[in-house]
Amino acid sequence: MGYIAVKGGTAAIEESIKRLCYKRIKGKRIIEVDTIKNTMRGLIDKIMSEGSLYSKDLAALAIKQSEGNPEEAAFLIRAYRSTLPRMHYSRAAEPGDMRIERRISAAFKDIPGGQILGASVDYTHRLLDFGLYDEEMADLEQWLREYDKNLIISDGEFNTRIPKVIEFLRNEGIVARASINDTEPRDVTRTSIEFPTTRCERLQTLTRGETGAVTALGYAAIRGYGAVHPTVGELRVGHLSVYIDYPFSGSNEPEDSIYIGEIQVTEVETLIPYIVEKPGGKQELQFSIGYGICYGQNETKAIAMSILDNCLENSHIKSPVHDEEFVLMHIDCVEATGFISHLKLPHYVTFQSELDTVRKTRSHGGNNHE
Amino acid sequence: MNRKNRTTILVKGNWQIAGSLAQEIISKYNVRTIQKPSRGLVMIKVREGAQNSVFYLGEMLVTECKVQIDDKLGVGIIHDDNPEMAYNLAVIDAAYNACLLETSTWKAILFAEEERIRNREAKEMADVLKTKVDFTTMDV
Repeated sequence: MGYIAVKGGTAAIEESIKRLCYKRIKGKRIIEVDTIKNTMRGLIDKIMSEGSLYSKDLAALAIKQSEGNPEEAAFLIRAYRSTLPRMHYSRAAEPGDMRIERRISAAFKDIPGGQILGASVDYTHRLLDFGLYDEEMADLEQWLREYDKNLIISDGEFNTRIPKVIEFLRNEGIVARASINDTEPRDVTRTSIEFPTTRCERLQTLTRGETGAVTALGYAAIRGYGAVHPTVGELRVGHLSVYIDYPFSGSNEPEDSIYIGEIQVTEVETLIPYIVEKPGGKQELQFSIGYGICYGQNETKAIAMSILDNCLENSHIKSPVHDEEFVLMHIDCVEATGFISHLKLPHYVTFQSELDTVRKTRSHGGNNHE
Repeated sequence: MNRKNRTTILVKGNWQIAGSLAQEIISKYNVRTIQKPSRGLVMIKVREGAQNSVFYLGEMLVTECKVQIDDKLGVGIIHDDNPEMAYNLAVIDAAYNACLLETSTWKAILFAEEERIRNREAKEMADVLKTKVDFTTMDV
């Protein structure tokens, strides 16, 4: 079969793009990018995380352009990111120094620093609030004034930085202490992943993974398709300061670094029990840690990431969620969406070939019956 | 005041302060723009808590600008698309690198702003701490 080149789609494509614009604006309502940024926190965080770019402004713009379609918005962000120069690498941010706004543990009731609920939907009734139809700006302003008025500040110093639960467990010897490893990470955006991967590649891929995919595989892991029994040792949401080394001096002294802003992240450390064989055949129970972190307040994804992190550390176990190629190659939103959606683009050549084969087979079969 | 503290105060604080400090320099010195404010990325490195290793979390949108006063360079880098602030930060950085006389009077302004930032963060934390759980074991 020869290739047949076709043309004639230009006018149709132009009209298709016009039709897309019509669909977005036909309701004659304009949503400001700033409104999206200030009211769609959950979606903004998801897009920043999957787009792998921290910018609430750009995430809001992408949401508007994509008409609220998260996979398209993440695609737009990734595409834009690829047009920008990478100017610097940050100094290693330490989530232990996070400015906390939420912190819980499912493993311990009394954790030093306490359990701080922060802003969470966990304790809401999940009933539709029909009052939102009639929300008025004046009411919001009144609510905010009241809220501010009721805020009592004591004279005492507030400790915004709270030590990690894991550290206390390490001090007790329940969790093995890991020495600092400053090996420069590999970057999955610069070189393609090769298997077996390194830990830094796995974590980078997991954190930019599609929320639904990461959650689905994490869920599968604890439903019986994985050998993990996790407990959330600590989940924290807060702000991390980002510093870079001063570019002119070549100095890497912390005092000489530049502060460029802060990012909100969700970090999870999951405790997973395992048996350690001691001398004399004695067995001891210890905990390994699954680690998850992602941009914004994105708790389900961070927990699922921590489960998958631990699964992939034990890749000898025969189960899909412990198979790094299976997990890492299928959670990226842009890769997955791109590959699936290419099926809807015209590929007449491929299909024509398949069709020819089917016709030939049928024709031979038909002859036999005649 | 070291560069880390100074940039933290300028970026976290009221941006009008950076604007007025930079303006003070611009009105008296020849500030040459070496690199106009332009968008770029900073790759964020994070230390993870399980094995204490580092990995790349993702990128952050930044605006970067470079200026020169006399023979001293200055750089301004700030999150998101903030060209004016990037320029002001670059001017302030160059002023410090050139040891301009004006910078000696800025310490008090920066310390005062640092205090305001501390108060603001304390207020935020006080607000957050209202959600701290006070567990009481129930008799059953």
